[in-house]
Amino acid sequence: MKSNPNDSTLGKQVGLTCCPTCNKVTCAKSACCSRCDTKLIIRDYASLQKSWALLITAAILLIPANLYPITTLTNQGKVTQDTIFSGIAHLVKTDMIPIAIILFTASILVPLLKIIGLTIYLTAISFKLPISKKNLMIGFHIIEWIGRWSMLDLFVISLTVAVVNMGQLLDAKPAPAATAFALVILLTQLAAKVIDTRLLWDRLESKNDSSTNT
Amino acid sequence: MASDALDNSVTLCRSCDLVIRKRALPSGVRALCPRCHTQLYDTPYCSINGMLALCITAIIFFFPANTYPVLELEFLGSMRTTTVLEGAIAVYQQGYWVVAVAVMTAAVIAPGILLVSILVQIVIIKYGLQHSLLRSILKQALKLQGLLTQLTMLEIYVISFLVAAFNLADFATVSFSFGTFCFTMLFIMHLFLLREYDIEHMWSFLEK
Ligand SMILES: [Zn+2]
Ligand SMILES: [Zn+2]
Repeated sequence: MKSNPNDSTLGKQVGLTCCPTCNKVTCAKSACCSRCDTKLIIRDYASLQKSWALLITAAILLIPANLYPITTLTNQGKVTQDTIFSGIAHLVKTDMIPIAIILFTASILVPLLKIIGLTIYLTAISFKLPISKKNLMIGFHIIEWIGRWSMLDLFVISLTVAVVNMGQLLDAKPAPAATAFALVILLTQLAAKVIDTRLLWDRLESKNDSSTNT
Repeated sequence: MASDALDNSVTLCRSCDLVIRKRALPSGVRALCPRCHTQLYDTPYCSINGMLALCITAIIFFFPANTYPVLELEFLGSMRTTTVLEGAIAVYQQGYWVVAVAVMTAAVIAPGILLVSILVQIVIIKYGLQHSLLRSILKQALKLQGLLTQLTMLEIYVISFLVAAFNLADFATVSFSFGTFCFTMLFIMHLFLLREYDIEHMWSFLEK
């Protein structure tokens, strides 16, 4: 899209704001959105701390999620416990590479990238790092989109547990890491959701790439 | 500038607060924020009747998708099946209620409420816009729309059938059944429904 000269005017500067729920543009002085009655906030500075808190908790929970077993399998009396990683390693050994790649991406790569990405993003806002805002925002959109795919492993576990229940013969059960993993997904999704992305563009305004478009 | 907003010629990017002048778009093209590439708006091509048909079809598939087995497993002559619902319950019975709630919400509850909500929205827009009570129901439904869409993870569940089946094929015979078909159809209908759905267009009915 071609840009015009007044490209960097912000809603804040002209007394307009956008409703967080329904995206309607309203006069910034009004307390509530005229269309859906949501409380209007021009900038949510507290969102930064909320997001940090959620993200740090998620990062801590990522450790038990990967160290503890996520499933327990009884096969003809023999009990084996698998962590996320050993489960994937087993798939590689039995030559199911495509499935191993899918699970590796959804269960290891995505949560890790999400936590690292959000950390960079929040650090850039909190400590005004001179990282390209455009790249940060593209990364943020990718994190938002791909983050939900971590749920794949939990769905697979629930299906497996329900269908493999033959007592001592063959039996699958979830193990403690499943809860930790579910919480990691929940907390990272929330951390990305609460953050007011407009703060990034305010804080670094003087620095760089506000002029790259004009 | 403030008066511009009233005639809808100006919009704000919700990610970076940039002021953007709206312009007419060819159909199927999305406007992106020139600064941060967030999606701004597109040409609404939502037909209320088309959405109604898709929504009803999706609801019809919703029930067998959740009550018929989605996965069948045969091991040393004995047979086990599971539905989407039983999957969540099995995890719950093992004490992993956090996982159970997550699975239940993303695969059953959120899609169910989403479909009913869209149906209610369409019916109100078609027949009940003059009643103030129905208008406020429509408003609440539209406010919930974003959250429900995010919580609905049918596409991920469809992939999880395949992953679970390949996983188990190692030591047992696994097959799909009628429920799998219905669930996949539910996913496809919901996909087309959300392609037609345009939240800005739905809000515009309330502003009339
Ligand atoms: Zn609003
Ligand atoms: Zn923007």
